[in-house]
Amino acid sequence: MPQGRFGGKPPMGVIYNTSMTRPDAALALAELYGFEEKRESRMGSVCVVGAGLNTAIFCDMIGRTYMLGPERNGNQVLAVGLADVKPLPPDSSMVRPAVERKNEKGEPLYTHSIEKLTDTSLAETVLLNGVIFNADAAVLLSAPATCLARSLDLNNAREVYKERVKRLVIVDAGTPQKDVPALRKVLAEWPTPIFYCPKAVGDAVPFPGAALDKTFEWTPNHPVVDAYRAAGTMPYNAPSYDLAAAHYAVHPDSGFFQLSEPGTLTVSDDGKLAFKPGGGQIRSLQVDPAKKDQFLLAMLDIAGTKPAEPQRRGPRTSANAGQAGDSKPPFAKPPEPAAPATAVKKDQ
Amino acid sequence: MIVTRKALNRRTILKGFGAAIGLPLLDAMTPAFASTLPANQPVRLAWFYLPNGIDMRNWTPPAEGPLGARLPDILAPLTPLKDDITVISNLTANWGRPLLVGAGDHGRALAAYMTGVEVYRTAGADLKLTTSADQIAANANGHLTRLPSLEVGLEETRQAGNCDNGYSCAYCYNVSWKTPTQPLPPISDPRNLFERLFGDDVVESPAAHARRLAMRQSILDRAMDDTHKLEATLGGTDRRKLDEYLTSVREIEQGVERAEKSGKTIDPGIEKPFGVPHDFPDYYRLMTDMMLVAFKSDITRISTIMVGREGSTRPYPEIGIADGHHPLTHHMGNMQMLEKVHQINILHAKLFAEFLTKLKNTKEGDSNLLDNSLIVYGSGLSDGNVHTHDKLPTVLAGRGGKFINPGRHIIYQRETPVANLFATMIQRVGVRPEHVGDSTGTLAGLCLS
Repeated sequence: MPQGRFGGKPPMGVIYNTSMTRPDAALALAELYGFEEKRESRMGSVCVVGAGLNTAIFCDMIGRTYMLGPERNGNQVLAVGLADVKPLPPDSSMVRPAVERKNEKGEPLYTHSIEKLTDTSLAETVLLNGVIFNADAAVLLSAPATCLARSLDLNNAREVYKERVKRLVIVDAGTPQKDVPALRKVLAEWPTPIFYCPKAVGDAVPFPGAALDKTFEWTPNHPVVDAYRAAGTMPYNAPSYDLAAAHYAVHPDSGFFQLSEPGTLTVSDDGKLAFKPGGGQIRSLQVDPAKKDQFLLAMLDIAGTKPAEPQRRGPRTSANAGQAGDSKPPFAKPPEPAAPATAVKKDQ
Repeated sequence: MIVTRKALNRRTILKGFGAAIGLPLLDAMTPAFASTLPANQPVRLAWFYLPNGIDMRNWTPPAEGPLGARLPDILAPLTPLKDDITVISNLTANWGRPLLVGAGDHGRALAAYMTGVEVYRTAGADLKLTTSADQIAANANGHLTRLPSLEVGLEETRQAGNCDNGYSCAYCYNVSWKTPTQPLPPISDPRNLFERLFGDDVVESPAAHARRLAMRQSILDRAMDDTHKLEATLGGTDRRKLDEYLTSVREIEQGVERAEKSGKTIDPGIEKPFGVPHDFPDYYRLMTDMMLVAFKSDITRISTIMVGREGSTRPYPEIGIADGHHPLTHHMGNMQMLEKVHQINILHAKLFAEFLTKLKNTKEGDSNLLDNSLIVYGSGLSDGNVHTHDKLPTVLAGRGGKFINPGRHIIYQRETPVANLFATMIQRVGVRPEHVGDSTGTLAGLCLS
């Protein structure tokens, strides 16, 4: 069993396989970096499947919003993966504003290291390497299952997954089933427990658009805020599909979820997912109705985590007090919903 | 018309007491009226392993596509050969990374480079890797040549003990692994290499070996009778080729003898005190000349050479560098140290360019030896200062017998395993294993077909 570099158990790594076509996906990425800030998990890798280069750039921008301090090298952070298909799929209009925003000097407002395809990582490899980087990992699938299925056939991948991946969470928001054969392969051959996060979970706890600014009030500009604004007519509430599933991936024992009895998950030829209790090993998730408000607060709190400044050596002085990683107070109560969730633009 | 001429066997060797000398491709080995390029023209595979990473600022060409007239500083010695090389960027050796283990990057860098698997951390005898890419090819094709493969090194090897934070010396000194537990130590002694190439397969008794060494008789002299018989059957062109070839063997033999007789001792920074040319460039040339002859005479088609062991502390007084290589690579931004690393990298590239030029000047049918080779020049570390294992410095020299179209800089997506390159290479010689380490396939866009 791998050990932490300085002993002890390192936090769980999360591998996020996303199409990044909905605001909940952008929020989920912020949430995962929030967990990393709090040392509750760490980002194993991000891999874009089913979208184009700007989406990979957008994901890179979000990562760099949280990774302050010196440039990190390839031993520390894996470049965002992108499934290389020709031609690349179109990007969601959600990501464009952040990618195109400029500062007063005409430079990109958000720093990023991806300019071209070869700045991104090979998709199936970055999925596996993201797991290899961690002693324990969770995989969050919210993209066509193409590359995750392909990764199963890499040398020794099944053994690595079996040893290290504690759970695979499949988000039913319409994307994993875009490659039906690949999803069927994953469902049939994945070597560790699978959890199914149906649409009802995200619909049950929508992200309140009115809370957007407060969530990210620690910074005047944030790519997730730009994406959320671009994805619908503000203010609107967005279903929390990936946001909720990412929370479960990291904290399955939070008490916010109820689990079905083990069952089977099938995907029809036209991509419809159907969970049937009994006769299988997959569990379906449901938000505990009594804990919806608490769950929403928890997600808002994590998604809104302010990144810590790089640690300084030496004693804390008046010069640096109050700067490094001072997190904002958590939400006292969830903001009022502003509009129904259906306000999300239908460009995904 | 009746053709009576009988082709000479491609694997003809000259034999004498305690000697067996392979031959280059002669016209007489080609059937009359056949193409001068045999259909089964052998493709040679070689790997030049560079220790301690590279000054990457001066390695990577600025843009993808055809190589420009001016290459970056470190690759500049290869400029006359720019149409014969392919610069490949962004390859990764994932298992060299610290991952959850931490220090030990040098041991892992080398051990994982050609195996592409996790390096089991041990300083004991319980080594665990997998068969390296060259040996996958050698295990499949080795029966075609007298030696399945050739492992060469330019530093004396150690096989036991802790050499890098709990990693066995075997991991730091061997790039080639016959099996998951059996490294193939590189031959670093010129005479040993010479005898491996040209000595008889019959094992001599220690007494006979000592007697022959005492006599200092040339291997060529001992094969003289066979040589004369062969010459009588050859045409003028072949006689000249044979003479040139035997002369080059003789020169190598003399080089080995000179090195042994010189009696010079070298700076304590180097671990080999005897039998090795005093100057590193001479040592490099002598050993690579023997590789060249091994390829030319089809003694083997697969070779690895460790330009230095991983973590090498060799100084380079020949270019005014008294500091050890490895300490210099941990420059921490000190530009004077970095400049010395830069100069060492250039020296290595110059010597590699010399070797490639010799291959190119070695005619083989209508082509040349370089065209019929695929030779990797690279390292399992990119930035030696911080021990990164991605964006590896990689040059592929040769065409592999009209297999690839060089003269380009190709950039792949990041995290593309370097094993994909090796899988591409060994596929060229007809070997198609399910995996080569952590390969995900072959390198698209590298091959002509």
